[in-house]
Amino acid sequence: MTSLYEWSYWFCEAWLVPLLTPLLYFQEHIMPPFSNPAGDLARWMESDPGLNVLAWSIVVNVALMIGFTNVIIVVYLERKIAGRIMDRRGPMLSFNSLKEIASDLAGSVPEYNWKTTTYAGIGILQNVADGIKFFCKEMIVPAKADRLLYTIGPVIFISSSILLLILVPFSPRIAASSAPLGLLVVMAAFSIAPIGVLTTGWACNNKYTLIGGMRSAAQLMAYEIPLLLSMAGVFLVAGSFSPMDIVAQQQDASQFGIPMWNVIPQFIGFIVFMVCILAEVERIPFDLPEAEAELVEGWTTEIGGLRLGLTFAAEYIRGFVGAMIATVLFLGGWAGPFLPGEIWFLIKVYGILIFFIILRWSVPRIRTDQILLLGWKRLLPLSLLNLAIAILFVEVF
Amino acid sequence: MAEMWIHMGPQHPMTHGLWNLRIKVDGETITDAVPELGYLHRSVEKIGERRKYFMNTTLTDRLCYASAMTWTHCYCLTVEELMGVETPQRAKYIRTIVLELQRIASHLMWLGAYLPDLGLITGFLYGMRDREMFLNLLEIPSGGRLLYNYVRIGGVKRDLPPGFAAKAERVMQTLEQRLKEYEDLYDNSKIFRMRTDDVGCYSASDAINWGITGPNLRSAGVAFDLRQADSYDAYPELDFTPVTTSASDGISDCFSRYRQRIDEMYQSMDLIRQALAKMPEGEVMADSVPVRASGEAFRRTEDSRGEALMYLVGDGTDRPYRWKIRSPMFTTVSASPHFLKGYKVADVPAIMGSIDMCIGETDK
Repeated sequence: MTSLYEWSYWFCEAWLVPLLTPLLYFQEHIMPPFSNPAGDLARWMESDPGLNVLAWSIVVNVALMIGFTNVIIVVYLERKIAGRIMDRRGPMLSFNSLKEIASDLAGSVPEYNWKTTTYAGIGILQNVADGIKFFCKEMIVPAKADRLLYTIGPVIFISSSILLLILVPFSPRIAASSAPLGLLVVMAAFSIAPIGVLTTGWACNNKYTLIGGMRSAAQLMAYEIPLLLSMAGVFLVAGSFSPMDIVAQQQDASQFGIPMWNVIPQFIGFIVFMVCILAEVERIPFDLPEAEAELVEGWTTEIGGLRLGLTFAAEYIRGFVGAMIATVLFLGGWAGPFLPGEIWFLIKVYGILIFFIILRWSVPRIRTDQILLLGWKRLLPLSLLNLAIAILFVEVF
Repeated sequence: MAEMWIHMGPQHPMTHGLWNLRIKVDGETITDAVPELGYLHRSVEKIGERRKYFMNTTLTDRLCYASAMTWTHCYCLTVEELMGVETPQRAKYIRTIVLELQRIASHLMWLGAYLPDLGLITGFLYGMRDREMFLNLLEIPSGGRLLYNYVRIGGVKRDLPPGFAAKAERVMQTLEQRLKEYEDLYDNSKIFRMRTDDVGCYSASDAINWGITGPNLRSAGVAFDLRQADSYDAYPELDFTPVTTSASDGISDCFSRYRQRIDEMYQSMDLIRQALAKMPEGEVMADSVPVRASGEAFRRTEDSRGEALMYLVGDGTDRPYRWKIRSPMFTTVSASPHFLKGYKVADVPAIMGSIDMCIGETDK
């Protein structure tokens, strides 16, 4: 098994650096004051830290591409499913409808007919329009904002979300890295984001963003402990933090005679995990930091332009990674008959994401004190109960 | 943490109109609140004093954008009393029908506006979808969808067309099905109950002292309905008792206010059915309506939001000498600090949404 990181390291070592360094060495002494660093750069690239940096930059770019492709799909699904739930059609504008509009404007349709001219398509152009809009908007820094923290806050949020993608594998064949602590690192990376939210909330010099940031921190207190405890049951049964081992354990048929996904023996843990991961990715019913009814847009009120676009994208990436972890921990990961593992993995992940979307458009939002109550009085005892059940399984079988 | 003031408004998703709610918060707990009005003041009363009596129906339509028919009706009743005009019997029944249709449309708009306040945007689309059917019904006789100008001094603009009863029946049957769906979706939703139960409580005696009327008062268990207490139009001939709900004995909370409006929609549908069945044939407009009036008159009606009162003084010319509007929401908003204190910031939209704000009539 090679991870994407190992492949990139090999690629840099065997191909990229040997091709680049001769050019730099050639430059080294041509014009001394200007080209002297070229040789240092070449020597750094040949060293282990240099190769590491190059390999990681390839990995992060691939992860970013995969992440954003999925963001586009999830946003599209969210809009269409939300539209269906709301008894409307959702976005309709696509390339076909553009053609229809153009022919109308050109006059090839003699009379406008309300019944037959629909401009109907599948609506994929809506995402393009959104992307263009985010790119075109100016990134304003509010006058009395803390300029440094205001800039850093979204960066922490976005970069920690993209970091998540390179820590969770799609299948044994497609994995960006194989960190020994596996999913524990993912959860650590997950809880970086509230720092970014709190920073932005404070730096904007706006009361709504401040309350939004504070809520994010309060929410972290509520869900983080039950979340890790519900995962502990799975780690205990698998005896490892690594996603590969956890999936292999769920495929192991020696205990029960059939492959037993963790969702069946640890159903309580699954429920607790799903509730907590919803709180972790800040979606309705737990999107308190950006409660638009009372806090306008919560902690993102003062963010604009591409920062806002990337923040939205990062939120969807977090939702996507949350669904990936749920799949790995409880739904057997990439295991499944007939189809390749990656397809099975995506099917399961998108199943959970569609569940998230349907939930988002079906229930109202709960309050801050209620999520603390839920976390400490309901989820924590339940996750401990689940841990006890897991210990029982390990001891008995 | 130090206490701080937060301005919710004039541009804020919570406001449903143009007003400002200043709240003082300690962390997330509200310790004080000040509603500020006047952003939408158009001095309707003063404009009305410069215009002829029959011209003012266009102004009264614009008092409340969610419930235009009831305000014009209140004005017309007052002018009729001032002039001593007797409305034909059929017009009274038609007025009753359109008023109840308007009440349902207004309550559906409230339902649609309330759920986004709690974070469920789907509810907005559902409320608006159902309101659409009632706007279609109101469009049949009046030709308008938002501002009708249908109720006139001495009667109504034109008769209901044949087949109206069947259309109304079909729409009402659809709404009954939908309301059952909503009860499944909202009443049985744990999160909806968490957000609305025991939030924004006030007692019946407090509500009476603060001057809260209408559904907000009846949701505290007080059976006071001006359609019966000071009856007008065809209501005396219809068989109904005021609907009341209450959370516990004599306490109104957000859920009981929600429940009250849903129950009132059922009652309105019952009233429409009765009125359609009993409606006599005849003229829809009084034979002669005078232009000038003198003396003074006031009438109060049960608006979708509470007690609407109009007071008119005529000095013998064709224009009112003095015109005073008593808006139900003005008193309710003034009382809002009393039932906002002690709750969280997240409860502000839940509470202010549940009393069904309409700033048009509040600011006049």
